[in-house]
Amino acid sequence: MAVAAVTRPRSRSRATRRAVTGYLFLLPALALMGVFTFYPFVQGLTLSFQSWDGVGATSWVGLSNYQRVIGDNIFWVSLVNAGIFGAVGFVLGNILSLGMALAVNSLRRGSTFYRVAYYVPGVFSVVVVGMMFAWILQGSVGILNRALGAVGLEMLQRRWLTDPETALPSVALVYVWFHWGFGFLLFLAGLQGVPRELHEAASIDGAGAWGRFRYVTWPQLIPVTTIVSVLTLLGALQIFGTVQVLTNGGPGYLTEVPTLRIYKEGFQFHRFGVAAAMSVVFGSILVALSLVQIWLGRRSYGEGE
Amino acid sequence: MARTNPIAASLSTATTTREGVGGVARALRLLQVSAFHTLLAVVAFIALFPIVWLLVGSLQTIQELYRGVTFWPALPQFQNYYIAWTKGGFSVYLPNSLFYSTVSVLAILLAASMAGYALARIEFPGRGAVMFLIMAIIIVPLPATFIALYKLLVDIGLANTRTGYILAMVAAGLPIAIFILRGFFMRQPKELEDAAILDGCSAFDVYWRVMLPLARPGLAAVAVIEFLRLWNEYLLALVTFNSETLMPVQRGLTKFVSSDTPEQHILLAATAMAVLPVLILYTVAQKSIIQGIMEGAVKA
Repeated sequence: MAVAAVTRPRSRSRATRRAVTGYLFLLPALALMGVFTFYPFVQGLTLSFQSWDGVGATSWVGLSNYQRVIGDNIFWVSLVNAGIFGAVGFVLGNILSLGMALAVNSLRRGSTFYRVAYYVPGVFSVVVVGMMFAWILQGSVGILNRALGAVGLEMLQRRWLTDPETALPSVALVYVWFHWGFGFLLFLAGLQGVPRELHEAASIDGAGAWGRFRYVTWPQLIPVTTIVSVLTLLGALQIFGTVQVLTNGGPGYLTEVPTLRIYKEGFQFHRFGVAAAMSVVFGSILVALSLVQIWLGRRSYGEGE
Repeated sequence: MARTNPIAASLSTATTTREGVGGVARALRLLQVSAFHTLLAVVAFIALFPIVWLLVGSLQTIQELYRGVTFWPALPQFQNYYIAWTKGGFSVYLPNSLFYSTVSVLAILLAASMAGYALARIEFPGRGAVMFLIMAIIIVPLPATFIALYKLLVDIGLANTRTGYILAMVAAGLPIAIFILRGFFMRQPKELEDAAILDGCSAFDVYWRVMLPLARPGLAAVAVIEFLRLWNEYLLALVTFNSETLMPVQRGLTKFVSSDTPEQHILLAATAMAVLPVLILYTVAQKSIIQGIMEGAVKA
């Protein structure tokens, strides 16, 4: 005790020094994130109550931006569309990525090749993916229509991206193609974490293939499934560049998505205040979803223990 | 069986129950195995076809493209690339992208490793709060803040400038990089650090001379995935730049499409130029890319 009392002043000054050192190390990162991430976040809230045309001064307009957002059907349609992309990505993407992860995991040879090949779409940019599929799905000379013609399925040929019936499904499928590899990688990593002994024990107990999947593999994959599902949904909601290149939201507003809507509202119609209000609504939805993910993640990890 | 798993196991049960039937069972099993491998190959084909189609198309003449019977061009048309490079502005966009990506990666590595080191190893009040703040920043993505970010750039005179774009890109990349590097520093043994402190090294020396070299694999992983992200970035580039001389390659590509209405073969060559660096990087560093993406996903 006496020793502690004697050394306390010294250790306090050392603690202060350590704190100063710590914050000096953090300074560049905190300054950058403060100015370019945190401040715009706050300013976005302010701007949503203001009017700004992109160059001049701002003026306060109260709640009128939000009134406009509430009355803007296209914005709500864009949210629904993003939700559809999310649902398609969730169902189709999860089935594909989990199924292919199971398949590749069962290979004794060649699993590296498939792992690398299946993730290739994931390294492309949104613009590049848009350009690739604009060419593949092109109405008159695109390879998809040509291939359909070659096998005698002319009746299925159409202008995939401008036909009101196929535009949204086409973009949704491109989204799945683009992003399923990400879930595949996470599922594969999750499968490799399932102890082999568990499978062997279950086989000895007489469990069939389905039984082993249902009672051994699946419980171990629940945390990964949660992460993949929420990230797929979040990614689908934020889809932008690919849609801009493929359809620019058309035909009409059938493939409009929130980020594209916000972009047009600001940079085409010069109503940045309304765009900021849309961002606040949209951002709240994204944050709510992330919070659900964190909550689900905690819960499923808790159960696993 | 070396590895037990649902699919291979179902194949083996199929054989044992039908053992009496002999040849038929073997034929059935062969059928199942080949169906399984066909499925794997078909999915690989779907994953790889668009890029292959883009690359072979980028070397064809416009007549070959529109006739649509050619796979490999009669005479590879490298001048498609030359035209995209000169008339398409890619002689400007590609160096711009290289510059933005390189500078931003270096800045991210420096700032994120410093922050990650402090958060992993230096005990100071408010450390938990800082971690919480970084987490909070991660869950508010760019599509929800780019309008306000644009206003900020206009207000401080950095709209349509290289500096503004780089600073915003670095800030956006920091949170995940900090998380990954913090994890890396936490896994390093403490002894070396303690020895260095006893030798009278300053905190910065410990970070710069001892910890940074140890964290080299982590730095490499962050560098590769950040380079990929920066090279592919589009939304911020769209918002920041008006001047074609400043545009990076993704932004330049959409500019090229909308303003010049180029012919399809030139367009394919231009797209190929935007994607080739990424393909090369992926081929060389696929291991660390895949690992980095998974770490980033699980941490974030």
